[in-house]
Amino acid sequence: MPAKNAKSPPLSSATLHILLALAGGNLHGYGIIKEVARNSDGHYRLGPGTLYDNLKKLIGTGLVADVPTSSSKRKAASAQEEDRRFFSLTREGKDALAKEVDRLQGVVTKAKARLQEARTGRA
Amino acid sequence: MNRAVSRLVYRLILRLHPASFREEFGPEMLWIFEQEQQPGATVHFFLDGTLSLLRQRFTFENDSGQLSIASGVLITGPGIGPVRFLQAAIALSLLCLGLMLLRVPNPLNASVTWADRMSCYTVTLQAPSHAEVVLQTTP
Repeated sequence: MPAKNAKSPPLSSATLHILLALAGGNLHGYGIIKEVARNSDGHYRLGPGTLYDNLKKLIGTGLVADVPTSSSKRKAASAQEEDRRFFSLTREGKDALAKEVDRLQGVVTKAKARLQEARTGRA
Repeated sequence: MNRAVSRLVYRLILRLHPASFREEFGPEMLWIFEQEQQPGATVHFFLDGTLSLLRQRFTFENDSGQLSIASGVLITGPGIGPVRFLQAAIALSLLCLGLMLLRVPNPLNASVTWADRMSCYTVTLQAPSHAEVVLQTTP
């Protein structure tokens, strides 16, 4: 399972956004799309094809799981949404997201250091 | 594009997805399409659906029935046949048709304007039966 691998490859942009959206709570597909748009200030628009293609892979690798219909953890805003399929982040999914955030933090730290070097080099 | 027509086109794109994927996620995808259906968003959905179709049909894995890529050469596995290529071609054609319907203005009443450093020309094309070209030169 990728999440247990210490040297797991970087997550794709869509995967990262989906995991990040689900970190806030259980959501159905449309809820994930709206949450991703909100988190990225509308800069990243996730289509249903990309979403479910990624969700299929994430369910297959155990990072995301289906929320049973009877579960009290479903937060449907309307009666229409009650019939929808909800998804949740598993423990492995949370670990994978945490590792990715750490990796990105490292990239940002290195990038800042390089930019600082470049600035002092010019001065 | 008419809402009913765009819904039909999107349903066709979904119909071309593999049965397992379609049965599992098709109704959810269609529901999202209906929730988000706006004039500008339709092209995005068609493009996204077509890309999803291509990803589902041609997963880059090295098992039978999937499309494989080795040393830059496309090799089709034993399970992939002309039907899948035909399905992908139909999906791309539908996408192109959708883009044409949304973007291309009426060819019988097209108006083209351009300018260069020397002068500005306005060309007006009317119905082919009585084609008329009007050239205007501004100093």
